[in-house]
Amino acid sequence: MTASASDTASNAWDPSKPILEIEHLSISFFTRLREIPAVMDFSCTVMPGEAMGLVGESGCGKSTVALAVMRELGKTGKIVAGSMKFKGRDLALMDDEELRHIRGSEIAMIYQEPMASLNPAMKVGAQLAEVPMLHSGMSKDEAWKLARQIVADVRLPDPDRIINAYPHQLSGGQQQRIVIAMALMAKPALLILDEPTTALDVTVEAGIVDLVKELGKKYGTSMLFISHNLGLIMDVCDRICVMYSGEAVESGNVTEVFDKMRHPYTQALFRSIPLPGADKNARPLISIPGNFPLPHERPKGCNFGPRCDYFEKGRCDETDVPMSHIPGDDRHDSRCLRWQEIDWNAPPAKREVKQKAEVGKVVLKMDDLRKYYAVSGGAFGGGTKKVVKANETLSFEAREGETLAIVGESGCGKSTFAKVLMGLETATSGSIMLFDENVQSTPIQKRNTDTVSQVQMVFQNPFDTLNPSMTVGRQIIRALEIFQYGKSDAERQARMLELLDLVKLPRAFAERMPRQLSGGQKQRVGIARAFAGGAKVVVADEPVSALDVSVQAAVTDLLMDIQRENRTTLLFISHDLSIVRYLSDRVMVMYLGHVVEMGTTDQVFAPPYHPYTEALLSAVPIADTKVIRKRIVLEGDIPSAMNPPPGCPFQTRCRWKSQVTPAGLCDREVPPVQMLEGGHQIKCHLSAEVLATMEPVIKIAAE
Amino acid sequence: MDTLTWTGTAGTILLPVLQVAALALALALVAKLLFALAGLDGPRLPGPDGATTARSPGDMASIAIRYCFFAALAAVVFMLAAGAVMPSPVEAGILGAMAVRFWPVWAALVATFVLSIRFRRKLGLYGKLFDSTVGMIGFAIVLFWVFTAFFADMIITHDPFAQLSGLKNKPPGIATADSPFGWYLLGGDHLARDVFSRMVMGAREVLKIAPAATLFAFMVGITLGLPAGYFGGRLDTFISFLANLVLAFPVILLFYLLVTPEIRATGIPIVLAALLFIFPIIFLTVLWNSRFYTNPPRRNLYVGITLLIGLWAYSGLAFNLDPLGVWSMEPNMLNVFVSVVFVNSPGVFRIVRGLVMDIKARDYVAAGQTRGEGAWYIMLWEILPNARGPLIVDFCLRIGYTTILLGTLGFFGLGVSPDSPDWGSTIDDGRKLLNLFPHPALAPALALMSLVLGLNLLADGLREESLKD
Repeated sequence: MTASASDTASNAWDPSKPILEIEHLSISFFTRLREIPAVMDFSCTVMPGEAMGLVGESGCGKSTVALAVMRELGKTGKIVAGSMKFKGRDLALMDDEELRHIRGSEIAMIYQEPMASLNPAMKVGAQLAEVPMLHSGMSKDEAWKLARQIVADVRLPDPDRIINAYPHQLSGGQQQRIVIAMALMAKPALLILDEPTTALDVTVEAGIVDLVKELGKKYGTSMLFISHNLGLIMDVCDRICVMYSGEAVESGNVTEVFDKMRHPYTQALFRSIPLPGADKNARPLISIPGNFPLPHERPKGCNFGPRCDYFEKGRCDETDVPMSHIPGDDRHDSRCLRWQEIDWNAPPAKREVKQKAEVGKVVLKMDDLRKYYAVSGGAFGGGTKKVVKANETLSFEAREGETLAIVGESGCGKSTFAKVLMGLETATSGSIMLFDENVQSTPIQKRNTDTVSQVQMVFQNPFDTLNPSMTVGRQIIRALEIFQYGKSDAERQARMLELLDLVKLPRAFAERMPRQLSGGQKQRVGIARAFAGGAKVVVADEPVSALDVSVQAAVTDLLMDIQRENRTTLLFISHDLSIVRYLSDRVMVMYLGHVVEMGTTDQVFAPPYHPYTEALLSAVPIADTKVIRKRIVLEGDIPSAMNPPPGCPFQTRCRWKSQVTPAGLCDREVPPVQMLEGGHQIKCHLSAEVLATMEPVIKIAAE
Repeated sequence: MDTLTWTGTAGTILLPVLQVAALALALALVAKLLFALAGLDGPRLPGPDGATTARSPGDMASIAIRYCFFAALAAVVFMLAAGAVMPSPVEAGILGAMAVRFWPVWAALVATFVLSIRFRRKLGLYGKLFDSTVGMIGFAIVLFWVFTAFFADMIITHDPFAQLSGLKNKPPGIATADSPFGWYLLGGDHLARDVFSRMVMGAREVLKIAPAATLFAFMVGITLGLPAGYFGGRLDTFISFLANLVLAFPVILLFYLLVTPEIRATGIPIVLAALLFIFPIIFLTVLWNSRFYTNPPRRNLYVGITLLIGLWAYSGLAFNLDPLGVWSMEPNMLNVFVSVVFVNSPGVFRIVRGLVMDIKARDYVAAGQTRGEGAWYIMLWEILPNARGPLIVDFCLRIGYTTILLGTLGFFGLGVSPDSPDWGSTIDDGRKLLNLFPHPALAPALALMSLVLGLNLLADGLREESLKD
């Protein structure tokens, strides 16, 4: 670029031109061993006021693109080719001085962890005021006034109190709103959001998403929205760019990409997520075979080739595939050689219909279970003792071969429930019948081996579930030893290999260390370990929530298959209602230690709802353009379990509260459990007539 | 025979080179400082025509600093290398001759490094150490002293206890009339013994105690820290209080107390030894039992072997009652050993306790609990292996502290025999005439410093590498 061109560009930038224009960008990280290409030939254009969604699995390079735009690639990252023009000026050529001016004032970034973006030692107001004071030399008083106004803009209650608070005094959702406020302080032209809601609860996420959308319109800010959640992208963005293994594979208008995808990866991705209408028996999910290639082990030709159903040998694995334009659509591109030949409307070929498992006799029965914790008030053990009611009057039964989903957000008591069931804690009162045996006050040390091996758990975090310094085989064998399986080491070794077969892992993995496995593979080992003693009841604590979308389907299916075979009772703890709808037979919704609604999946997902279930259903983003969702955004955050509201636990956020007669009943009394037809239970004061007037939250538009 | 010069024949050329390089290095450093203050620093300055750029004066100074440093280093290396090829110590000089005496150490060092670097990708954390320059330098220094201790008998030029007449306090390189080697390479001490040989033998004395004492301190700290961190509550409060008591007591005073004859007569050191030495046996017994209790024959085998060897060694080391006379420790040595273990274990305890409190919240610990594992299995097999990174780093640092502690003890004449060649005692011996003859104290002091420096660098390198990926 010549000197005169750069002058005109910076002085008078034409608002009809793109605000961010990335062309053929390639980024590599240089390690001691080799060059690792993180992003290859990436192009995208963001117009003023437009929200661009970057979607892809972990390791696909979406965050690297964001960091490159901020020019924060660190010491090892280098831009090896291509250009990034921001308002016509090339970001790659700017020096530190210019970048300092642009960062925070023209381009702002919002990260995943709100607490990590805020300085814990500074008041919120001071952190916000710093931005305009630094970038436009605003006076301190004015800056604080602006800060107060923006805090009100991000819809935080009581802005005067908030700006004088320290970050740790705010909840996660409030912190993220402050981070958004900080990004907006300098009225940036481009906002980069890197998984801004992943660390938050669903109902809180819905509020943040609404806020971001509204602020984008109000300030005319362009957005680069990075997420792994297709539903969220559909809610927020106008345009989408799907990335796979360092390349953009498809980009275009959100509705066009969702309805008329023209890349096999996008198609496979949509077939692997549980949309309304999917069913574990009749229409199971289709997982993408194989694994994500490591950056230095990418195949020749198309990166998705080895996992693609439409792969053509000698063509797809020959040369690099360029982006090709799809005529007739609005800037719709696909990186596929065969997009014109594929019949995109053909139904998937290998969908197999599975037998529904028979539900047997009751294996687990909880009756009026309570678990309270005593928390001492003072620092020296003095002061008043507080009681945290983690579980209140929990009653349910689970049958053999059944999947019971336990749904709730953080702090609802689902983990405590799991601990009591496993015997890591003992119940305060109530009873647990496990195979005709009372176990509510038997800690795990006192349970016999049979009972222990029949109730096992699958954990949430795949990176934490295996001991990092023991081989995979050794960990499974240990479980077999503890459950007293087999008479000799050889027998246990053989059984361990069978278990690896059961979870569809190669037998060679027995010798591997956990760090050599991907997240999905680790989760499979965790499942194998849980089933080592022939478990009859398995508590799965969000087993797939930390996994990538394409892997989720495979792990879920595996769990279902093992359940069918062993007639296991699965207690599936989750906050993700899409997956719950897909795989569970019955659902139990929990809020602050109470079971607020329980019934079969159909009952819970159709009106009448408990008001909380209604809000939860509406909060979960669904990646389907045909689904019409009623927006119900809850006010505020989940109350702390240390200090629950009096009366009904949900009354502080309930939108139906005004319809309860007599008024004020919700503030005074915990509602009774109402028995509706077919064993559907709702814990609410609303009368049956009011409940009957509820409309469905999710409607599927006629095709 | 002639007195040796420091650098021998090669020095006539290399010494001036070294001097010039050192002088230039000093000048360049001053210049760099001045340029930086004058604002002439930075990678490039704009040239006269604006487009092309020239190196800034500050940058030139940086380049000069680098080359001068390499020149000086090369001169020293050549001096040592030249010594190795010279026919006799006279031409080789003191440095050259010492370099030759250390040949088994060099050979072992080269072999270790070549093999380690060749297979470093298969060697885990140890292999990754060779990716860090600092770690490699530290490891080389530590290995140097380890091999010196190992090959000490081949390296020494004289018996470290022998006195040759007329060589009292003589300077380095002095010729000896009636010895097969012919020179005291680093001179003689106040009793006319060879300083060089005593320094080499001192390495053996130090490295005999320090790592073993640190290992024992780790056994005690781990065995107490694991339950304190894992169970918490009253047990934790109690053990932590004891640890704080020990940490709060002045260390040197404690040492004096432990080695005073009156206190020794009361039997306190023996009681302490009995207490501290039992921990490794407990540790190993619990380790095997928790893992193999599902398989009684194998458990009995491992626990049996542990108890047999452990109690045998225990009877010998703590009470000097070994019936076969294999295990024993001099009362002096026992005192030193016990005191060092005693003051080090509370530190280890605190680190282990903190690490356990962090790791016990992991899912794999919960997985162990939900399949009904015993508490000790979880502590020893699920938690401890995953705390190894920080513990290894601390182990290296702690050997360094222990070495200094042993030096301090020797310096005060505590716990070791009067003519022991260990570095602390030697420094103390040389202290009395330090003004007139510094060399007898300087040699062991530099040796001690380099070993501890090496351990610290090694710990730094390990920490750096263990934090990466």
